[in-house]
Amino acid sequence: MSRPVLVVERLAKTYAVGFLRKKVHAVVDVSLSVEPGEIFGLLGPNGAGKTTTLKVLMGLVRPSAGRVELLGQPVGSLEAKRRLGYLPESPYFYDYLTGRELLVFMAKLFGLPRREARRRADALLEQVGLAQAADLALRRYSKGMLQRVGVAQALVNDPELVILDEPMTGLDPLGRKDLRELIASLRQAGKTVLLSSHILSDVELLADRVAILVRGRSVDVGPLPELLDARTLSTELVLTGASAELLAAIAELGHTVRRSGDRVQVTVTGSDAPDALVDLCRKHGASIAEVAPRKESLEDVVVKRVRAEGEQRERAEAAR
Amino acid sequence: MIGRILTIGLNTFREAIRNKILYSLLFFAVLVIVGSLAFGALSVHEEVRLTTDLGLAGMSLFSILIAIFVGVNLVYKELERKTIYSLIPKPIHRYQFVVGKFLGMVLTLGVQVAIMGAVLQLVLLLQDAELSGALYRMMALIFLEVIVVTAVAVLFSSFSTPFLSGLFTLGIFLIGRSVPDLRRISRKLKSPAAALLLDGVARVVPNLRLFYATGSDAGGGHVTVHGLFPDWSYVASAGGYALLCVAIALMLASLFFSRRDFI
Repeated sequence: MSRPVLVVERLAKTYAVGFLRKKVHAVVDVSLSVEPGEIFGLLGPNGAGKTTTLKVLMGLVRPSAGRVELLGQPVGSLEAKRRLGYLPESPYFYDYLTGRELLVFMAKLFGLPRREARRRADALLEQVGLAQAADLALRRYSKGMLQRVGVAQALVNDPELVILDEPMTGLDPLGRKDLRELIASLRQAGKTVLLSSHILSDVELLADRVAILVRGRSVDVGPLPELLDARTLSTELVLTGASAELLAAIAELGHTVRRSGDRVQVTVTGSDAPDALVDLCRKHGASIAEVAPRKESLEDVVVKRVRAEGEQRERAEAAR
Repeated sequence: MIGRILTIGLNTFREAIRNKILYSLLFFAVLVIVGSLAFGALSVHEEVRLTTDLGLAGMSLFSILIAIFVGVNLVYKELERKTIYSLIPKPIHRYQFVVGKFLGMVLTLGVQVAIMGAVLQLVLLLQDAELSGALYRMMALIFLEVIVVTAVAVLFSSFSTPFLSGLFTLGIFLIGRSVPDLRRISRKLKSPAAALLLDGVARVVPNLRLFYATGSDAGGGHVTVHGLFPDWSYVASAGGYALLCVAIALMLASLFFSRRDFI
């Protein structure tokens, strides 16, 4: 089996803040490993410790405890830094530079000669759809454009491991789609991607495995199919031509009914097939326009884990 | 290694130019010209001396103020604007970042001193003055002092806020200019503890009087552009001292900077 690209073992980070040096436990106990060639999602609500974990990986903050290995090297080693790319959360760049100048500057920090740096910058600007804005000062870029140029600078060294902290922030739906395609193309090119995001639908579409962080702890780590419950949670039926008599009968069965003009949406909770409801509708002459089973989403899993952690914490505090 | 330092340095220089800091020079140039003309009219056959004195004093003051103001913000601005988040993960050591920023600042100040010097020479030429080598040595000493003050500002800004760093640097500048006086006073003090303290301060703080060419006490002799001004060998030895001060300040700054968490 190939060696993991990234190993985090029992990572903890405690900050001392303010005049009184009050301790803040940003990361309490995070363990995860990322395999080569996979897209790994780092999930969790705000304040779960995602960004701090990534900052430790990037050498921006020093860990209080635990072990971190990046591309077989300790954190902060130049060898590891040469082979990874990083997009910070809400990235800020030198706004007096143009998009091209920023990328050339970043490429030169990787030791690329000027001509090669410029060639690479132009190719990346084209790839992220900023070729037209290459000579525009970054202070004139929109938030979405800054995010795109941020992704471009994370790829300037053609890295083996790409770490993206909330890359979808500030992007419109089209921009998000483009970025999803770009990330998928990175996987196809054999790169490993570590992605932190709270836009769970995007992660669900992309990630092979995820780690869920809650209050500084990694509470779930694994492949998406293993974390998601395969059972059907509910089934939604859309009916047309439903009579008042039929709606009364459906309500009697205890299903949720929502009406929008001629269309009626009925939600059947539970994993059982809605055969009885279908029969009832046919008997009353209503048409079934749509039947959609709803399975557990990544959002459901995260919400469940966050709530469970909250309840566990409340119980522990009550027991004290 | 050097390549990355220079890349950061040149980017710092580019920032200074595009942020229009150098345009403060225009103000200085106008001040010198207007000031020298006004004072020249008040003096009798002393126009050149007044222009030289005022010009050099203005150059020194402006350069030091800019060095302190920009120096204390040099590192802090990177933290405040969060630009540091995309730089530190690049294959650079933190000390390379500190040294690169410093060199960019030195280049910026070098250009400023050169332009100020050019304006001063222009005004002197307009007054039919003969330009002497002493003037260039004087400018070299001003530049050396500016470099030392910048390094001190970078040192403080590596662990403190711009306001406090500014106060500390200004304090070091004022004490540094008074080092020979502190030593003299310490010898006269009756309290051994106070004398020891004062002497200690005088030994730790860079002796900026060495670069204060219109003052006295340099090399034990009187220093003035109008009198026996030290030769290039004196400027070279002052340069060696400046380099030593800069090396110590940057080493300490790198040490503090390398221990920082960028939250």
